[in-house]
Amino acid sequence: MGKNLPGYFGEFGGRYSPEILTEALEELESTYQKLKKSKKFKKELEYYLRNYVGRPSPLTYAERLTKHWGGARIWLKREDLNHTGAHKINNAIGQALIARFMGKKRIIAETGAGQHGLATATVGAMFGMETVVYMGAVDVQRQNLNAKKIEMLGAKILPVTAGEATLKEATSEAMRDWALNVSTTHYIVGSAIGPHPFPTIVRDLQAVIGKEAKSQFKKENKKLPSAIVACVGGGSNAIGMFHAFLKDKQVAIYGAEAGGLGPKPGEHSATLTYGKTGFLHGTKTLIIQDEFGQIVPAHSVSAGLDYPGVGPEHAFLSQTGRVDYRMVTDEQALDCFLEVSRIEGIIPALETAHAFHVARDVARDLGKKKDLIICLSGRGDKDVTEVLRLLGERSK
Amino acid sequence: MSKIKSLFDSAKFKSAFIPYFTLGDPNYNDSIEFGKTILDNGADILELGIPFSDPVADGPVIQRAVARSLKNSFSFDEIFRVTKAIHDHKPETPLVYLTYFNPIYHCGITKFLDRAKESGIVGLVIPDLPFDTAESETLFRELKVRDMDLIHLVTPASEKKRIQALAKTSSGFIYYVTSFGVTGERREFSLDLKERIRFLKETIQLPICAGFGISTPDQANQISQYADGIIIGSAIQRIIEENGSDRSKVVSALADYISKIRTSIS
Repeated sequence: MGKNLPGYFGEFGGRYSPEILTEALEELESTYQKLKKSKKFKKELEYYLRNYVGRPSPLTYAERLTKHWGGARIWLKREDLNHTGAHKINNAIGQALIARFMGKKRIIAETGAGQHGLATATVGAMFGMETVVYMGAVDVQRQNLNAKKIEMLGAKILPVTAGEATLKEATSEAMRDWALNVSTTHYIVGSAIGPHPFPTIVRDLQAVIGKEAKSQFKKENKKLPSAIVACVGGGSNAIGMFHAFLKDKQVAIYGAEAGGLGPKPGEHSATLTYGKTGFLHGTKTLIIQDEFGQIVPAHSVSAGLDYPGVGPEHAFLSQTGRVDYRMVTDEQALDCFLEVSRIEGIIPALETAHAFHVARDVARDLGKKKDLIICLSGRGDKDVTEVLRLLGERSK
Repeated sequence: MSKIKSLFDSAKFKSAFIPYFTLGDPNYNDSIEFGKTILDNGADILELGIPFSDPVADGPVIQRAVARSLKNSFSFDEIFRVTKAIHDHKPETPLVYLTYFNPIYHCGITKFLDRAKESGIVGLVIPDLPFDTAESETLFRELKVRDMDLIHLVTPASEKKRIQALAKTSSGFIYYVTSFGVTGERREFSLDLKERIRFLKETIQLPICAGFGISTPDQANQISQYADGIIIGSAIQRIIEENGSDRSKVVSALADYISKIRTSIS
């Protein structure tokens, strides 16, 4: 493993992928080490983030939500205002630039809610790269708008029907494609998961969220916030938000994971609460698995959170206690989705709605004159049809 | 001396035939019959697959086999029971497990190895456990004290430095992945396959067995001219898939196929 890039976060992380991928992972690691120090790469990345993504994203004071919840002042880091509507584009742009530098002309991605697939299809179109997106067949149905957008951008979408036909299976299939086409293709892993160096690269590319939030907040308030909150599936928006604050011990950090329908196996995606150490998709991390080490299907109302693993750095941060990870049920997330939409005029992604639920409790515990930043990881347009269906079911 | 080493040292064949199938597809008792049939018709080493829910190194045929197997109630007790029954049928033929690392880790490495050895297993192939991990080193050590082998995969993308490094913790034989991608039958192989295998033989003092993509007697014959062994999985699993509901049909088709391959590489 590289000397300058951490392959492990405590006991978690590493590289546990088929041998055929090792050379590509080593090439990626050494390329990234070079690019990280390259002024040209940094300039190019900054250029696209500013002029294509629309960064810096605003830090919005949520006045109505603050009053409504009656606790700490609420601030929103507006990743929903990025081009394509979520934080995923930060990573997709960065990895597409790395792929271009390595001379790879084809990019592939896995996607759950479709936001990472959309971001990859977008950068594929912009850089003129052949793009293939693996998406579980169930997710193609429930996130049809994003599936259609991906195709409209010229990418090929390949529905995966194996297993539960969701994100886990899409990830396995993308890894298989990469094994077959490793010399021509770069796999843009969408979250801070996968074999080393992906968790580090994705974290670094998403760290712009927390860096901006910290400096924007300090500029406005001349201090640090009391707490920050983000939702965690694989955990890329969360680790991006948390990274700049990890050493600031006075800032409490909270992660919201999907408690789904309840604590029974197969009904949730609460990896950090119920997961056990194991090996999946190239990394050692906390995984929802049965007594024999078989991976248990995950569930969440949000297609972006129903993954049975989690980024290894989150597993480490959970183990050390630096981050307080809490479960949010489907119902609680749905209620927050509606509440935030009506009170603040912002329709959040269902993933982010989980973060709002934790933030509400934390804000009330903190009390007034304290400040809390929520990473608003993405907008909820993609979820409207699914929410209407769920509300219809609820009213029956 | 490990059982696999003494098999290759005895050199009763030009090239070893190493078939693979997934335990529990379509059920565990049928697996015993399939194992016996394969052993009776010319397997020199038999690879038994322990199903894992997320087999990322496997193609569609083995993925479907794993899914069918996991519809049965999975347990290590069942795995070891079936393994022992196959082993008792022909104890002189080495049996190895092919599985992903998570089930082994979850079972506990020493507990798993003790029970695997008791059941007749003499080696492990783990596609998602690279040699340069602490877990692989532990496993190699634990296998060695039990006189069992850790069979590593080498691929067309593996560089010389890496191959030299993995030789230190490899035993039994090297599983040479003939082509990029995942398991599954292929029509053609890379042109430099022969040179790659020759290079490997010079670099690592272990038998080099070729797998991934081989399915026909002709292919097996051609590759056996320079490889120490031929590994076939998907083609065997396809026979089980296509005749799965009729055990006697599977047994007969397997017997026919295994003996044809064995003859082609003799």
